[in-house]
This record gives sequence, structure tokens and C-alpha cells, in this order.
Amino acid sequence: MSDVPLIRLADVTKVYHLESGDFMALDHVSLDIMENEFVAIMGPSGSGKSTMMNQLGILDVPTSGELFINGKNVAGMTNLERTHMRRDIIGYIFQKFYLIPLLSAYENVEYPLILKYKKRDVTGKAAAVLKSVGFDELMSSHRPNQLSGGQQQRVAIARALVNDPKILLCDEPTGNLDRKTGFQILDILTGLHKEGKTVILVTHDPKIAEYAHRIIQLEDGRVVES
Amino acid sequence: MKDIFFDLSVRSVRLNFLRSILASIGIVIGVVAISSMGMLGTNMQLSVKQQLSSNVNTIMITSDVVRTTSTAGTPVTSQGIDKSTLNDIRNAAGQNDVIPIHRTSTQFTIGSTDGRGSIIGLDPNDITKFLTIESGTNIKGGSDALVGPNIASNFNMNIGSRIKIGQNNVSITRPTVRVAGILAARGFTSDGVNTDNAIIVPDTWYTDHYGDKDLYGQVNVILKNIDTINQTEAAIDDKVNRKTDVIRVSDASSRLSSISSTLGTITTFILAIGSISLVVAAVSIFNVMMMSVNERVQEIGILLSIGTEKGEVRRMFLYEAFILGIIGAGVGGICSLVIGYSVVSAMIGNTAYFFLPESIIYVPYGMIIGVVVCVLSGLYPAWRASNMDPIEALRAE
Repeated sequence: MSDVPLIRLADVTKVYHLESGDFMALDHVSLDIMENEFVAIMGPSGSGKSTMMNQLGILDVPTSGELFINGKNVAGMTNLERTHMRRDIIGYIFQKFYLIPLLSAYENVEYPLILKYKKRDVTGKAAAVLKSVGFDELMSSHRPNQLSGGQQQRVAIARALVNDPKILLCDEPTGNLDRKTGFQILDILTGLHKEGKTVILVTHDPKIAEYAHRIIQLEDGRVVES
Repeated sequence: MKDIFFDLSVRSVRLNFLRSILASIGIVIGVVAISSMGMLGTNMQLSVKQQLSSNVNTIMITSDVVRTTSTAGTPVTSQGIDKSTLNDIRNAAGQNDVIPIHRTSTQFTIGSTDGRGSIIGLDPNDITKFLTIESGTNIKGGSDALVGPNIASNFNMNIGSRIKIGQNNVSITRPTVRVAGILAARGFTSDGVNTDNAIIVPDTWYTDHYGDKDLYGQVNVILKNIDTINQTEAAIDDKVNRKTDVIRVSDASSRLSSISSTLGTITTFILAIGSISLVVAAVSIFNVMMMSVNERVQEIGILLSIGTEKGEVRRMFLYEAFILGIIGAGVGGICSLVIGYSVVSAMIGNTAYFFLPESIIYVPYGMIIGVVVCVLSGLYPAWRASNMDPIEALRAE
């Protein structure tokens, strides 16, 4: 593990231009996240959690300040480079799972491999990853709408993992699940952290944030506690 | 399928099967319209060409009638082709048959029935060079005549019938000719000699009764080899029109090409009308593609956020448009054959040319145009999908 942080926010500001005036969603945030950290980002709604997620997930760029991910300045990258970063460095796990409805469970997991290698997977990796998150093999040809929430989230985690990303970005991953299933999912994330992944967990639930080793508290676009 | 984006497109089309099929019907109609209109036009051109091309080996020479007179009030006179000009033509025409033609129109009487028709004076030796005698024999005696099939049937003429030539006037004894043979029908001819309603008399008989000895209304040159038409025409023109324009040289091929080009224009026009239906089809494909994009905003957001390239999203939607096009063009191609055949047989009455390459080519043309129109209609929707902001797209419900 190196001393260079995996993620560095230096004085990052994000301003949204709304009809009612400019809204500063992130207000000069500076923050380092090292490799293999398990971080929870907490805060009430409107505190800038989602904006922070979008920045860390390279879905958006800062209005000002600098954001480095895996040593690269996001602002200086082309759209295509950012797309490839999202594909290769980051695994996304969403509250609403966001599986591709027209693809089967297996194909959803295979999909990022196809994006990366431009061909169908013949290595069996997709099936292996799906198995590793405890997904029933018999269900792998089912479409997402035929799966339960817990099963869908397992598929989503498998999809996030299949390209072996450094960062797992989890946005309220248990928000749409019952308590029991939610804890199973968190156990999976804990296991992945132990295997060396950097896990970033956005939540408003302190119980869930306890799983993390470090809590970043956001309020009105500022880091109030880290 | 190897390409997952193609798979996704196929599944999307299948998911919205009815909508996709309805949109494709627009393309079907467009393809059918273009193909069958194109085939109709081509078949029309081919069958008209066939009718016209029977006499294309003939050069027609007429006197240059456009002559102005210096004195006002003097009628414009049409001069015929005189003997020296005819000799020049014969020299220039070389081995080819040169046929001088006398012609006027006349009244005649057969039995007690009066009629009117053309009377053509020809050297009896020239007659069989371009006319076919269906029954009877060629002219042998000085007052023998041949008649066209229409005039023969209209006036009940038979071999041996006698025709009095000239105006029915009791005070004058009219000359009489005897029908020696009846000609085969020629239909619409392109050598300027329409014999179906004519009485053919020997040139000597003609000049005895109408004068104009050694002055011909028209001279035809029948070529032994069609490929020499241009050089023969040029030779005649050089020889005769040395100082001033004495004669006008023309041939059926120029008329044929001008008729063909007119028919070509008509074909283009009806093709353009057919294309209008493709424009309508393009709008419906565009509409369906926009619906597909708008319904799948969140899915597009997912694809983009987990690292799908813009080009790949674009490709997915273009595949979808392509699939709609292929379905429409495939069904349209089959329908074109059936409908095109029916239209051609109903409107032209002759399907002999339908399966010729220049006619049937409109089916693949129509199909290709249909697919291209589909893909073009999908360009903007695909572009729009690929340029969505993933964050906003994910938020869509």
C-alpha cells in the first residue's frame, strides 16, 4: 500500500445553476481516502452526499478545485477516459440496484466484462463472481424483475466486482432491503474490504455506518467531521 | 449473437413488438411503393421501346421544309427531294437500300362506298424490302395496288377489288386500281411510312396521276448494319447539305431516345411520389425510436454510469432502427414482387419484362433505401440517448 491517497479532493466546490439562483452543493471540500479504507459518508438529505457520490464516481466534475482518483486528475480527462475509469476502477452499488432490465442476471454480471474486452466472456469469471456473492446459480438466466431485492443486490454487487475495481461505491445499498437481507449485504461488503477493496458507503443510517472504519460527516456541503 | 448491444436491441424490439411492427409497416409500404413504381416505369419503358425499335435501322430523309419567302403573303412552299439530291443520297448511302417515297392523301370509292386515305407511290421492287404482304401478291401490273389491313377490313376489300381513286364526281371518269395484295399490320411505325390505312400504288402510276415526277416527299435509307447509322447520316448530310440545308436527316433512334427520356422522366416522377410514403415511414420510425429512447432513460443512465461508451449506446439504438428497417424491407421486398407484378400486369398488360434485371433491380433498391431511411431516422434518437447526462438519466423513473 502506498502513501499516495487513492482518492484526493482538494478544495472541491460544486455549484449547480438553478433558476432560483446558484446552489453550492459542495463547499470547498478537501479530503483524502487511502487504498483499502472502509469509509462511510453520512449526512442529512441535502447535505451533499449525492453530489459527493457523483464526484467520487466520476459521473461529474468539480466546478472548481481538484479531484484525483487513482492518481489522475479527473478534470483533465476526456469523456472517453472518464468512461473507461468508471468501467475499470470503480464498482457501483446503488440503492435501487439499477440492473439492466433486458439482460438476465448472468448477462448483467457479464456486461462490464464485455465493455472492457469487447467480447463475450468465455473465462467463466462472471459465473464465478456471481457464485462468490452467494447468488443461486439456478436463477442466473432470470431477468431482474423475476428476482427478489436481495437477489438483485447480489447481482449488482457481482456486476460491480467483475472487472476487479479498486473502489466500491455504495449508495444506500441496503435502503431497499429488509433488515436481515441488508445485514447479509453489509457482510459481503465487509468481506470485500478484507480482500483489499476500498469501500465507500453513503448512508444516513448510523447503524449501517458503524460497519465502516471511518465516518465522514457532511452538512451543507461541508465536511464537519472526518 | 456476439454483440451484446445487438442482443439488447433485438430484445427491445421484441419487448415492444406491436409498436415495432406497426412502425415497420410504414417501411413496408415505402419499399413497396418505390419498388413497384420503379418496376412499373421500367416495364413501361421497355415495352414502349420494343414497339418502337422495329424500324430503328431506317434513316428518314425529308425536304427541309422550313423556308421563308421574301415576299409577304406568298405561301410557304414545301419542296420535295429532286432527282439530283436523290442521286447524291444514293451515292452517300453506299450499299444500303434507298427507297424514294411519293405520298399524298386522296378520296376513293370502292363499290358505292366513299373513303379517304393515304396513297403511297413506291417502286414495286422496293415494297418487299420493308413491307410484308400478308395475302395476295406484290404489284405486277401498272394499275395493281396493295392496301393496308385497316383500310381493307373497313371497306371490305378483297384481292381483286377495284378502287376508284379521286374525288367522287359524276362528270369525271376516275382511274381505277386493282387490289393485288393486302399488307400485314405495322402498327405505330417509326420510319414515317404508315401503311395500315394506305393504298400503295406503283410509282409510275402515282406520277402519271399526281405529277411530281422525280420529286419525292421522303426518302428512306434502310441500313444493312445498324451500327453504321451515324456515319451514314453524316455522309448523306455532308454530300447533300453542302452549301445550304436542302434535306433534313433523321432516324427513329433519336425519336426513340427522346421518347425514352420522356418515359424516364415519368418514371422518376412516379418514383418521387413513391418516396413520399418513405418520408412518412421515416417519421414513424423516428417517433418509435424517440419513444424507445424516452422509455429507457434510466436504462441508458445505468449503461452510461457503469462505463458504457457513448458510441456503444449509439450503436445499440442504431441497431434497433436497423432491425426495424430489415423487418420492413424484408416484408416489403416480398410484397413488392407480388404487388409490383399485379400493378405491371394490370397497367401495362405485359409482364414479359418483369423479371429482367433492369426491372427486378428495383426490389433490392427499394429494400436498401428502406433500411437506409430507417437508420437515418434513428440517428438523432441514438445521438440523444448517447449524450444524456448519466446522473440525470439515472434519476428518471
